[in-house]
Amino acid sequence: MRVLEPWLAEPLGELVRESSARLALVMTSSGQVVGQHGFTRSLDVMAAAALGAGILATTGELARLVGSDADFGAVVHQGAQQGVWLAGFDTPRGRWVALVVFGRNSTVGLVRMFFQRFAARVREVAPMPMPDREVLAEGFERELDASLRALFGGG
Amino acid sequence: MSDQSAPQQTLSFLDLGERLRQRGQFEAALSVAQAGAARYPTLAAAHDLIGRILADQGDDEGARSAWLATLECDATHPGALKGLAFLAFRRRDFGDAERYLEAAAAASPRDTSILTALDRVRSMRPANAPEVINIDDPVAGLLLLDNQGLRLAGGLGTGRDEQMADAAAASAAGAAREAERTARLLGLGAWQHLLIEGDSMRTTLLPATAQAMLLVRRPATAPVGRLLAFAARAVQAAQAWLGNS
Amino acid sequence: MNPERWQRLLEDVTAIDGVRGAIVVTAEDGLVVHEAAVEGLETGDVAALASVVVRRAEAIATASGDSEVRLCTLSAEKGIVIAAQGEHGLWLVAVTEPDVELGRLRLMLGDLAPELG
Repeated sequence: MRVLEPWLAEPLGELVRESSARLALVMTSSGQVVGQHGFTRSLDVMAAAALGAGILATTGELARLVGSDADFGAVVHQGAQQGVWLAGFDTPRGRWVALVVFGRNSTVGLVRMFFQRFAARVREVAPMPMPDREVLAEGFERELDASLRALFGGG
Repeated sequence: MSDQSAPQQTLSFLDLGERLRQRGQFEAALSVAQAGAARYPTLAAAHDLIGRILADQGDDEGARSAWLATLECDATHPGALKGLAFLAFRRRDFGDAERYLEAAAAASPRDTSILTALDRVRSMRPANAPEVINIDDPVAGLLLLDNQGLRLAGGLGTGRDEQMADAAAASAAGAAREAERTARLLGLGAWQHLLIEGDSMRTTLLPATAQAMLLVRRPATAPVGRLLAFAARAVQAAQAWLGNS
Repeated sequence: MNPERWQRLLEDVTAIDGVRGAIVVTAEDGLVVHEAAVEGLETGDVAALASVVVRRAEAIATASGDSEVRLCTLSAEKGIVIAAQGEHGLWLVAVTEPDVELGRLRLMLGDLAPELG
């Protein structure tokens, strides 16, 4: 498991452990990955983050279309061997997204239960947000590279 | 292999052996039965016949071995279960007698003679009567395992081999972890036991020590309260076994 | 599926003194299908955890060569979780105080659970 900031390790570790997650990804709503478990390639992380953000954006639009006051909360895809849980949650740092991939030794109910605890714990322990700073194109790429190095080792 | 899969001509040696036994010609009966069992080693009826002959001769140890061999061939053979119950009753081990009769009743629910025998044994052995509990006996239906799911002692009872016992131990450790977690997260405190009931069996899993737990397996005819009381005593025996091993 | 019938069924269970609440769950997903609120607990949590216990119990039965599980009872210091198998993967789960009339509850769950489906 890799996290960008140390305070996230304990809640993400508990989510992974208790829900028996095979893969887990936590990112901001803008797609910046802040923690991951189980991924072995940065390309996979980037792809999963982009796809996850896209799915939630799509379902959010669907919710708006059908007249729902709020978004649907969570999206679940259940296959024969594994399932995917994707949900947004509010943090002091803004809206974040969690993606959990689980196998046959876990259940949607279990993932849901520990995701709710995870989200509550993040809200509890997340430090106050840093002041906004303008991200220029070259700064964005540098920050992305730094994030990926942190998430896959090598500092 | 059950009796149904043996060729028709095998029944002739069974018939002959039984006739000789009933006429008190035990040596001749045993000779016929043993020859038949050697030719058809997986035929439960052959071993059962040997068991009955040896029991008639007063060779309880031999009869017990023969009936256990019968159960290897057919785990629910009523004759073997009744025979083992009879031997246990004869040595005044009412706990074992009850256990075998419960298994026989589960296998032959319409046999009223078994139920009558079961009632009699239970009347002679109150629920809280002390009994010898042998943790090492694989046919006692007591399976002691550690937190990692490794079998420490015992087994699943008659008709269940070591491989199944090991598989059950592995599954039981996982169940214990979930039981502990569920009780903790729902604010129910420490878990005490997990009772699993099906049509044919009742199984209870209990913590024995911080590192070990006990699985107790009984036929579904065993009263639940009695099973739980016995399991609690078995845990004490397991703790003593762990302390001495 | 008949929500009115299930509601009556849950009300029968929760009418027993000592029963804190009852729910209908799918063991496969660990989700609540129908509920009579459980005092002091999230029904979603009860469903998620109870379903995993049931699945683990079924694993023991399978490994032991036994038939399927009909009733599963987790007893703890401060309460009991008891699950009875219904139809189509549905289970009737009750959470109780430790001193509940367990014999009566077991019989009732055994009678009512087959009506799920």
